[in-house]
Amino acid sequence: MKSTNAQDMNTRLVNHRNLFRVTLSIILFVLIGFPASAQDAPKSFMDDPVNHPMAPLYLVTGLLFVTLILVMVVAVYMLRILNLFVKQAEEERAKRLGIPYAPTVSWWSKMWDEFNASVPLSQEKDIDLGHEYDGIRELDNHLPPWWKGILYGSMIWAVIYLFVYHFMGSLPLSGDEYQNELATAAEQIRAYQASQPVATIDENTLAYSPDAAILANGKKVFVSNNCQQCHRADGGGNAIGPNLTDQYWIHGGTIKNLFQTINKGVVEKGMPAWGKVMSPSDVRDVAFYVMSLQGTNPPDAKKPQGNLVAPEATVAPADSTKGGK
Amino acid sequence: MELDKFSYDNKIVRAFIIVTVIFGLVGMLVGLTIAIQLFYPALNFDFQYTTFGRIRPLHTNAIIFAFVGNAMFAGVYYSMQRLLKTRMFSDTLSWIHFWGWQLIILAAAITLPLGITTSKEYAELEWPIDIAITLIWVVFGWNMIGTILKRRERHMYVAIWFYIATFVTVAVLHVVNSFEMPVNWLKSYSFYAGVQDALVQWWYGHNAVAFFLTTPFLGLMYYFLPKAANRPVYSYRLSIIHFWSLIFIYIWAGPHHLLYTALPDWAQSLGTVFSIMLIAPSWGGMINGLMTLRGAWDRVRENVVLKFMVVAVTAYGMATLEGPLLSLKNINAITHFTDWIVAHVHVGGLGWNGFLIFGILYWVVPKMWGTKIYSNQLANIHFWLGTLGIIFWALPMYVSGVVQSLMWKEFNPDGFLVYKNFLETTVQIIPLYMIRAVGGGLYLTGAILMTYNLIKTAYSGKFIADEPAEAAPLAAVPAATSGGWHHRVLESKPVLFTVLAFISILVGGIVEIIPTFLIKSNIPTIASVTPYSPLELHGRDIYIREGCVSCHSQMVRPFRSETERYGEYSKAGEYVYDHPFLWGSKRTGPDLHRISGKYSDSWHYNHMLAPDAVSTGSIMPAYPWLFEQSLDLEQTAPKIRALRKVGVPYAEGYEDTANEALMKQATTISENLNMEGIEVAPQTEIVALIAYLQRLGKDIKSEKVAER
Repeated sequence: MKSTNAQDMNTRLVNHRNLFRVTLSIILFVLIGFPASAQDAPKSFMDDPVNHPMAPLYLVTGLLFVTLILVMVVAVYMLRILNLFVKQAEEERAKRLGIPYAPTVSWWSKMWDEFNASVPLSQEKDIDLGHEYDGIRELDNHLPPWWKGILYGSMIWAVIYLFVYHFMGSLPLSGDEYQNELATAAEQIRAYQASQPVATIDENTLAYSPDAAILANGKKVFVSNNCQQCHRADGGGNAIGPNLTDQYWIHGGTIKNLFQTINKGVVEKGMPAWGKVMSPSDVRDVAFYVMSLQGTNPPDAKKPQGNLVAPEATVAPADSTKGGK
Repeated sequence: MELDKFSYDNKIVRAFIIVTVIFGLVGMLVGLTIAIQLFYPALNFDFQYTTFGRIRPLHTNAIIFAFVGNAMFAGVYYSMQRLLKTRMFSDTLSWIHFWGWQLIILAAAITLPLGITTSKEYAELEWPIDIAITLIWVVFGWNMIGTILKRRERHMYVAIWFYIATFVTVAVLHVVNSFEMPVNWLKSYSFYAGVQDALVQWWYGHNAVAFFLTTPFLGLMYYFLPKAANRPVYSYRLSIIHFWSLIFIYIWAGPHHLLYTALPDWAQSLGTVFSIMLIAPSWGGMINGLMTLRGAWDRVRENVVLKFMVVAVTAYGMATLEGPLLSLKNINAITHFTDWIVAHVHVGGLGWNGFLIFGILYWVVPKMWGTKIYSNQLANIHFWLGTLGIIFWALPMYVSGVVQSLMWKEFNPDGFLVYKNFLETTVQIIPLYMIRAVGGGLYLTGAILMTYNLIKTAYSGKFIADEPAEAAPLAAVPAATSGGWHHRVLESKPVLFTVLAFISILVGGIVEIIPTFLIKSNIPTIASVTPYSPLELHGRDIYIREGCVSCHSQMVRPFRSETERYGEYSKAGEYVYDHPFLWGSKRTGPDLHRISGKYSDSWHYNHMLAPDAVSTGSIMPAYPWLFEQSLDLEQTAPKIRALRKVGVPYAEGYEDTANEALMKQATTISENLNMEGIEVAPQTEIVALIAYLQRLGKDIKSEKVAER
């Protein structure tokens, strides 16, 4: 138990460092504004912005946008200064003539008053309720028409909503909605598979070959927190899952056994049935990747479990794929 | 006419202000801590009393009941005396209220980290504290109604209406939701089970927001905003309509917290439509607040009190528009269980409650100490730190909510989930958690500046303990009411007004809750669902104690992305023995309703011991104490008896043999673990927790097998 704890601490430290690295890169993504999936789309603008055919257009549009904002800012600022001059002039004029200065009401505030059906500030006295509470007076302005619109509109909408869902039954409630969603998805998957003839994987005739593309995808599936949780990132095994790099196997070590174990799982032993959540080709890729781990001898690997299985003939050249490890 | 001479009690207000500031700082500090724990789990210290699941309710309770609650009482005691032209009904009651409430907060601060909790959100405190809350709330109401009855102002101002509605409704909500069956002094089971418990809880939870965080603060806004702006309230008739529509409609909206769950569809739809109808009544308050500033906007620029209030009222408007939109099913399908909801709550909490409280404090403290604010500049810095804090808090959480939700739902063309492992979606949003913590830090820094500023202000003046005032006594016969408006008459009759408000808030609850209890078809029974075994029961109580429900839901919604990830969607009949329900409201981790059989016992064992050693990058804290502490088998019998009283069909006398069954099941698990090389005594807590996790959702799985 002790040594596992030390190991745990070690993995944790590494994890924190990894976390930090992931964090930094993701902050960059967030700043660019495309956080989730930019990584996976290989041909997107973000990968190579300089040489992208749309780059000049984006650049010009961007510049135009910035210029537009600047022009607006300057315009607003100029207007405010002009307004200030006008106001000062009017104040001075009022002072000269000895009449009280009354600021002119802007068209904006007039429109705003109309929009809200407010009584103008100057006539406020007419709607004062003539009472005060600790110095607080109350006006009696009309209800804003748009507010009444929302109030009554939402009530009408509510009646229609209940009627449509519960009396006419013309829109699906959650149970039916779910069935519809399943049906649509099944249809889409069928259409996709029809358009994309996939070589069916027959586990009986499956033969291992260290194909670089397959192994790369297998590795991706393996480490994106599917397999490495229980078998460690390098396949060396941890407190839960067995070592995958030695020649000892609990559920058989042929490529067919591997495929089946991954596909159907050994649920009573804690191995999930991955075929339920992965495509057959992903299962195959991961099986191949696991096969490629044979003999990699990671440090601190778990001691052998199960039976010794003599390597299949096809495993022999596996050494050549270890380069990256 | 002879004027009465009397004085306003400022001492009680001062007392409430002091605790407001203290608990505000404490609550925010705990909030910042849990925010950091979410990206730096080491801050849980592997120590049970500081783990996320236990101190997250400490944060929410401290903010809602200690910070906002005490601020509410400070504001109510200050404004009510002046609006009614009288001292409080009884100084003794005021002080019983004050000390009683602080003792309740102290009890919460002790029990929550100890894991003594009912697990129902914002109602976590155990039954003896619930009783204390009821008593103190009655004292508050008694004092308030007494004050209203001995007023020297015939007509009740709109702020008073909101205070009355607050008192009445919170009393009803608290009493109904806190029905629970004691097991011992520190443990109880909810009287309600499953779907019914969920409905009552969110009827309570939603309206705790409405009547603890909203109506009293609308009342405070109606007093402090016109006072600070020195402007008349914009529209009296808007006050009337938005008050009555608000309190009537709010009560109905609770089920929008349970859209797409096992709650009957009709109740969900009521939740949706009443939420949409709530837009206008809520906005009535915002309009009346903002339009009151007509002709005073030039002062908003210079007056820091008004600045705080304008942002508060605007945040209120934003949150109360956002809330109804989140109640639309198609939006809710994306946002529920995500950080979006957390952001939504914090726009209300930080923006509306926090900023209104800050504005009130900056206005009222100089008044009560007969001086000017110590530093306007510092208050301005607070304003900008706070505003930036809210932005840095909320924006990343909106992004995080959407990003994570879309990742949960993304399928590849083959029809498989793109992100099969929940954790892949968690690691994506961790940087956003970091930014959020920065926002929280800014907000807290602002509050610290305010504390310093207010202390300096108080020291620069002299406290006016009893503020002298005078007013004409109330004429024995009511003066002829102006305009002959009947509501004007109503607003002079506090008892009738209170009764009518009470009826308005009862309707919605009655219509939604009673049929859910009485009509059998609402919760179709499932034959294969059986009560928990004694060991599972202990495990469930550990699940409750550790606050697992803070991060893990037990409610698979009927979406393809969820049934694909978790399994068959959850049915109402599966929860009939769940006292309390544990559906959860946030998925920081994956749903657990179908966790049984998904992993081996040893996986759970290792995972609870060191989550990130098992799942790289996991932000779940470790629970080492579960491996050292043993079950209290003495409690098995009282637990079973309590559950039988609330309707769980344990056979008479089962409690006598329950511990044998418990040990048998525990030994099986312990032997099972032993085969994997793990030595663990059967009565260790982790064994019970594993038993519970391996039970979750199992009943319906075996049913499926039986069908075939």
